[in-house]
Formats: sequence, C-alpha cells, structure tokens
Amino acid sequence: MLNTEVKTELIQIVGAAGYLDRPEELACYSYDAFVEEALPDAVIFPKTTDEVSKILKTAGRYKIPVTGRGAGTSVCGAPIPVRHGIVLCFSKMDKIIEVNTRDRYIIVQPGVVNADIQKALSPFGFFYPPDPGSMNSSTIGGNIAQNAGGPRCLKYGVTVDYVLGLEVVLASGDIIRFGSKNIKDVTGYKLSSLFCGSEGTLGIITEAILKVLPKPEAVKTLMVTFDDLDNTARAVTDIIGSGILPAAMELMDQLTLNAIEDSANLGLDRNAQGALLIEIDGVKEACDKEMKKIIEKLKENGAVHIQEAGSDIERDKLWTARRSAYGVFAKLAPDIVSEDVTVPVSKVPEMIRRIIEITERYGLRVGVLAHAGDGNMHPMIPADKGNIEEWQRVEKAFSEIFKAAADLDGTLSGEHGIGLAKSAYLPLVMNQSTINFMKKIKHAIDPDGILNPGKFV
Amino acid sequence: MKEKKLQNCGKCGLCLNACPVYKILKEEQVSPRAKLHLIKAHDQNTIASSAFLKEIISKCLMCGSCSAVCPSGIDHYSKFMEMRRKMGEAHGEAPAIKSLIYLLAREYRTGFGAGLARTGQKLVPAGLAKKFKLGNIPIKNFPELNPVPFRKAHDEVIFPKGKPAGRVIYFTGCATNYLYEDTGDAVIGILTHMGYEVVIPKTQTCCSIPLLFHGAKDRAMENITANIKALRDIEAEAVLVDCSTCGEALKNEYPRLFEPHDEHLVAAQDIALRVTDIISFINLHFDLLQFDPDITGKIPVTYHAPCHTRNTFSSHLTVEKILQAMPSVDYRQTPDSDQCCGGGGTFFYEYPEVSKKMVDKKIESAKAVEVSHWLTDCPVCRMNLAGNTEKKDGLTVLHPVTLIHAALKQI
Ligand SMILES: Cc1cc2nc3c(=O)[nH]c(=O)nc-3n(C[C@H](O)[C@H](O)[C@H](O)COP(=O)(O)OP(=O)(O)OC[C@H]3O[C@@H](n4cnc5c(N)ncnc54)[C@H](O)[C@@H]3O)c2cc1C
Ligand code: SF4
Ligand code: SF4
Repeated sequence: MLNTEVKTELIQIVGAAGYLDRPEELACYSYDAFVEEALPDAVIFPKTTDEVSKILKTAGRYKIPVTGRGAGTSVCGAPIPVRHGIVLCFSKMDKIIEVNTRDRYIIVQPGVVNADIQKALSPFGFFYPPDPGSMNSSTIGGNIAQNAGGPRCLKYGVTVDYVLGLEVVLASGDIIRFGSKNIKDVTGYKLSSLFCGSEGTLGIITEAILKVLPKPEAVKTLMVTFDDLDNTARAVTDIIGSGILPAAMELMDQLTLNAIEDSANLGLDRNAQGALLIEIDGVKEACDKEMKKIIEKLKENGAVHIQEAGSDIERDKLWTARRSAYGVFAKLAPDIVSEDVTVPVSKVPEMIRRIIEITERYGLRVGVLAHAGDGNMHPMIPADKGNIEEWQRVEKAFSEIFKAAADLDGTLSGEHGIGLAKSAYLPLVMNQSTINFMKKIKHAIDPDGILNPGKFV
Repeated sequence: MKEKKLQNCGKCGLCLNACPVYKILKEEQVSPRAKLHLIKAHDQNTIASSAFLKEIISKCLMCGSCSAVCPSGIDHYSKFMEMRRKMGEAHGEAPAIKSLIYLLAREYRTGFGAGLARTGQKLVPAGLAKKFKLGNIPIKNFPELNPVPFRKAHDEVIFPKGKPAGRVIYFTGCATNYLYEDTGDAVIGILTHMGYEVVIPKTQTCCSIPLLFHGAKDRAMENITANIKALRDIEAEAVLVDCSTCGEALKNEYPRLFEPHDEHLVAAQDIALRVTDIISFINLHFDLLQFDPDITGKIPVTYHAPCHTRNTFSSHLTVEKILQAMPSVDYRQTPDSDQCCGGGGTFFYEYPEVSKKMVDKKIESAKAVEVSHWLTDCPVCRMNLAGNTEKKDGLTVLHPVTLIHAALKQI
C-alpha cells in the first residue's frame, strides 16, 4: 500500500472509484499469461491523458514505479509489476475517437480492444490488419507496447507498420505527440518505431492513430496435409521463395493436427505428419492465379491431400480449429509453455528438426505450430509446473531452443516480446554495445527508471 | 487423447470479453480469470475470507460464457458454486436472498406457490414490495402469479391430437409453474399438435440451481433427489425443458453432484442423456408442424439469446432458424442478440447498477429494429427484459413457443 499522502494525492487526480488497493483487488493485477506474479501497491484507472500526466508527475516525485496494463494477456510477463508500485490500467480508457475510412485511419484510446476496432471498421468494408490470437481481449495499448503480430502479418506486417501517430506521456509527465494522420510522413525521427515494442518502459501511450485497409475482394483458404514434416516445411520455403505472398501460412505437426481433429472433427488425416493452412486474399483474378501456383508447389513437395474451403462457414471452421490448437494442448497437462522463436523462412525446416531433437532429448512432448510463412515458430510444451524436475527440463529445453534459433540467424521473439521471460537471453542475439544503447535511450527519457522497472532494459 | 482432470487456468485472458460483467465494469477483479485466481489464493490461504471477497465472487451471472470460451476446459461453474457455498456460510446472505432460498427450498415440501396464490400475494415478498424497486426492476413490472400453479391446473398425462408420434416428459420448472403459464400452455399445445403424449410428473419440483448459486447445497439436494425420483422411471423419448437454466441443471449439474457410488448417479446420468430444450426438440421434428394457412401478414419479432441457451444447448441459432422458417414471422436480428441481459438468477437484485446498464443496451437495440415482439427462452431474461421496458416501447416479451403455437393450424 502506498502511504496516505501519496494515496490522497492520487485519489484527487482520478477519484476514489479509480483507485484500488484492497488485497483482494491487488491480487488480480499481479499476473499476465506468463507464469510469474508480483503484487502492485495500487491500481489506478485513468480516463484522460491529463490524468495520466498528473499521475506520472506524482509518481516521479515520490519515485514510485509505474507499470502500464491493458488486458494482461502478455505471455512474457511484461505487465507484471515486479518492483511493485502503481499499475496503471487502461481498460476503461477505451473510446474510439474517430473512424475515417476516406483518409484511411482510425483514432483510438489505448484501452480499446483489438476486436472492437475490427467491429467498428467492418461496416465500412475496412479492417485493421494486426490480428493477434488474443484479439478478442487484448488492447491496442498492449498491442503497440508489444508490437503485436498475428497470422495475417505474413502479408500485411505487424503493429508498427500500422501506427501512424501516437500521443505518449513521458516519465516526467510531459505529453508528446508524433506522427500524423498521413500515410507518408518523414518529419523528424520515426518515433513510433521506438515505442512499438518498448513494453511500457519508455512512455505511456494515451492515444493512437492507426492505418486501416479496405477488406480484400476475395479470400481463399486451403487445408493441406503431408506424410512428412520436412516436406511440409519445405513447401512453405518454396512457396514464399517463388514470390507468392499468402496472407497466412500456418504449419502444424502430427500431434497438433490430432489435437485439432479431436476437438473439431474436420475429417483430417490423423496419420499425416504435417499440415498447412494457407490463406490468400486480394483481387479475385489474382487469387485464382496464385492459387494455381501454390497448388503446383504443394504437389511438387509431396502434398497428399489438398482441400479448399468451399464457403465462409468452412473457412471459419478451419480457422477456429487452428485457433483451438493452443487450447487442446493446454488440456494435456496442468500447464503449457509456448514460445515464439523466429528464423528466416528458408531455415524453417531445420529449426523444426532441432526443436524436435531437443525436446526428445529432454523427454518432453512438443506440439509444433508455426506462422511458418514468416518463420515464426510456436513450439508448445505441455507440462506440470508442480513437478520441479520436469519443469527444469522444460526450462533447459527452451534455453537450447533459443540458442538454436540464434544459431540459424533467428531471433528470440517474433511477437510475444521479451518481458521477464527472455531478458536473460538477450545477449544471444544482441551484443553488449547494443544493449547499452537501449539502456542509454531508457536513461535519457526515464532517468529515475520509474516506468516498468525490472524488465529487459 | 487423455484429458487430465486438474487443469490450471493458463491466465490467457480469452474469457475476459466473454464475461458480461467484465465487459461492463472493465476491472480485472470481476473477470472469470481473476475469480479463479482469488479462489486459488483463498484455498492456499494467501487471501483471507472476507465479505469483500464474497462480493467479488458473487458479481457473476453464473452464465457459463467463460467456460464456453476457455481453451483449458476449466469448469468455472463448479468452482464458483463451491466458493459461493463457502462464502455464504462464512458471511451470510442478504435477507432478500435468504427469503428466496427459503421459498424455493420449501417449494418441494409444501408447494408454496399454491398458498401464495390463494391469498392473492404476488411473487415479491410483502416486505420487499414496499420498496419502489427490486434490484433494477420496478415492482409494478413484475409478473403476476398464475391463478393456479400450472402443474396443478393440468393432468399428469396429456394425450396427443392426431397421429401419435411418441411420449415425452415435460419438466416445467418454477417459472412456468408459478408465473408464465402461457409458456406451458404453448409447450403442451405444440407437443400434442405434433402427436406427442405429454407426461408432467406431479412430484417434480424446483431444479434448485438458484439454491446452488447461493450455496444452499443441502437444501438443494433434497429437491434434486426428488426430481430424479420423479423422472427416472417414466419411459419417454425425451425430458423437455422450456427454461435453459433448468436444462443446464438436469443435463450438466445433477450428474456432477453425486459421488461415484451414489445410488442416484446412474439415474441422474440417464436423465441427463434424455434432456433436451423444447426449441431443439421442435426443430428436430419440424416436419410435424402444420402452420395455419389462413394467417396472413407477418409479425415483426426479434430474439434475445439467453446465456444458458447459448452455452448449454447452443440452440439460439435454432430459434433464429425456426423464426426465419415461419410463414407468420418477420424475424429481425439485433447485432447484440447473443449478449447477456444482466438478469442472471438474482444478479439483477444484487447488482442493479451493473445489470441495468446491460439491459438498457439490449432494449436500445431491440427498439432500433422496430418490432412488436421480443422473444426469449429463459424466464429470468424474460422477467428482466419485460421488467425494464416501458409501455411506450411497445415490446411484448414472450417465450418463442407462444408465437410458434399461435401460428399452428387447429387439428
Ligand atoms: C492466447 C493468446 C494468444 C496470443 N496471440 C498473440 C499473437 O498472435 N501475436 C502476438 O503478438 N501476441 C499474442 N499474444 C500476446 C499478447 O496478447 C499481446 O502481447 C498483446 O499485445 C498484449 O496486450 P494486452 O492489452 O493484454 O497488454 P498487457 O499484457 O496488459 O501489457 C503488455 C505490455 O504493454 C504495456 N502496456 C499496456 N498498455 C500500455 C499503454 N497504454 N502504454 C504503455 N504501455 C502499455 C504493459 O506495461 C506491458 O509491458 C497472445 C496471448 C495469448 C494469451
Ligand atoms: S479462458 Fe480459461 S485458461 Fe484462459 S484465463 Fe480464462 S479461465 Fe483461465
Ligand atoms: S459465469 Fe458468466 S458472469 Fe460469471 S464469470 Fe463466467 S462469464 Fe462472467
């Protein structure tokens, strides 16, 4: 709990209803979807940028840590207040300020849920491309802070590619605004790149201008099975290598395929060793042409069964099945760990071989699932955290998987971020000078280190 | 694949926006994920039992929407129920809730409704009626009691019209028995029209879900065994419910309540297999319905999908399909037809501000599609929707069976 003086000051800013500090309440802001927990001293719900600025000024004066929070769906511990202090929760600062499809942008407050942006745009025939699996819960503030991606980011790019402008409150309480409503804007540093992926360590996002796109005219979806996982991965490399850019290309191994079949009953071949869910979109004629080329490549790589979704309902069914994979795995053991190492697409087959070798060596089960088109792997290991011996094996396996990815010119995280989960592994992919450079930036803007302390910088 | 029994909540947060209470309050502590976290913390003694903890746990409609989306297959229902029981024991219930528990438990022993009706009382206990509002619903908008309880007004066995098709059991629930006889009349009308013999066992009683929600497990068990005894020995192809909450109880909760060797377990499981909601049953035998060709014109209607209908029977889409197929109905969907109305058991009474926000949103969208009838197949939703609409809104709230029955040809 914060002392009475600070508490009174903060309540004056947000009102008593916007300030929580009973133990039953604090406990609920101690976690995200990662495995660690830490209690805050207070949870504050700001409603305006001005309130955020005042809160940061007060926090700065007393040197109290401030950790932003959207929906707490981060899988790397990013919003966990490891140094306690204030959790600044944006779930109630959730207004859509302007929808302007003529000029192709939307302006939102940070607490707006990704799916609500899609809902607001849909009647105009527009969409916002970044589609994290958590889109029904996660907020745009969290999406920007984690630079979130999703299946269709293969073609469309990730959050940073859609942030036209931001309003940010710095640790000092100063309010800065950069970028604009223009798709093209090279006025000064491209500061949005700095804040995308900053995990709440550089500033608090209070408003965002996002680029939106018209929905594609046609969408085609394929479900393809193979009798060899290597062939499956090679088909991905081949298709991307031949210059086609599908909207999404999801790879599943046998274990995952069976898990999906258990829950969705799609009539997939349970003996298949690998499968791909491929989606292309765009102008109808172009889609048809691309589809022909893709099918050619699939056959060259030994595809056994190719099935095209005949209707929107069938298409939804395939995607629902793909999304259910995580859940079905989660049911195999009390806990599940899912990582998101990423490698250049040509290295996908090799990375999969290494993941399987490593997990086998540690006697663990693994489901290999990947946004394969952009090399983003999601190996999932079901295990029991209560079983200390097993959990140690899980940690060792992941540490080797990180090393393998680094070896293959890959990186630690394609979309989940670093947070608490992976800060120890940063040196695998960054030299010390680079880490120091990030620290310098952090120190320059937040000299007292009050913003989300204890994380990767 | 083998499923492990003890699943941990992976804290993925997918249940947040499935939860109608979270969607309104937007505070993590009321979310399903947080409730599980608090229950665990309480079990591990890191969070003490308190009246405030009880308040958080009961800010819940027991609608099951969290379990429906949960990828880890968590059974929120049982966990919440158990925690509600513990909290109720430790911190007591509000007087009004206590009297509800008392009434429903007595339902079995003395048949309170009959007595109430004779003395001309209303559903709302006299002490409470003095207040202008009960929860978010103005007293004047509460439904009147049936003049005679439905089960008392009908024979135990009702014979079909036309060609016999089979035999079904009708579990009427308290709502049809005491408040909404129009629903019961329509159910019987439709079933006999189809050619079904309808058995309404006299010894059936309250399904006891409301008792379980408030932790009165012992009293609930008495009712539950009475129901099992009433239903188990009658040969019939289905046990039909017109209330999806009763359905959820018979289908999912009863079998879970008995220990492996309990003499009632097998009967409970057998009944669970035969339980179907009336809408799905009508849909299954849609070809047996003969609509009245003389009815011209179409009634504009919309539909509210109750949480238990969505999460237990998934029959909300079936209702819409039937409405679209009916010659006398012009079905107009609202964009939020599947959103919770905030009625949820006694939630409207315990948290009127939250509940009111939910129901007002729904009323706005129902008015926007300009209909005369608003259909819903849950009596609590019906009470909540009807209780919060004004005369000038021009919306009559009914169970879908009433309109279906009215459209049938006389045989
Ligand atoms: C089932 C599941 C599927 C997922 N799928 C994907 C996926 O496909 N792609 C992907 O990229 N991620 C995915 N994620 C991870 C996660 O959903 C994303 O990282 C998401 O962007 C987090 O958003 P949030 O609102 O929950 O933020 P939180 O978890 O609350 O916070 C995340 C970080 O953002 C900071 N933050 C929050 N709001 C602000 C603000 N206003 N200003 C400054 N900092 C702020 C926090 O301090 C924290 O560091 C998934 C997670 C789950 C559980
Ligand atoms: S959806 Fe299930 S696993 Fe995910 S947070 Fe909710 S209860 Fe936990
Ligand atoms: S049962 Fe309904 S109201 Fe209760 S936590 Fe689950 S989703 Fe929320």
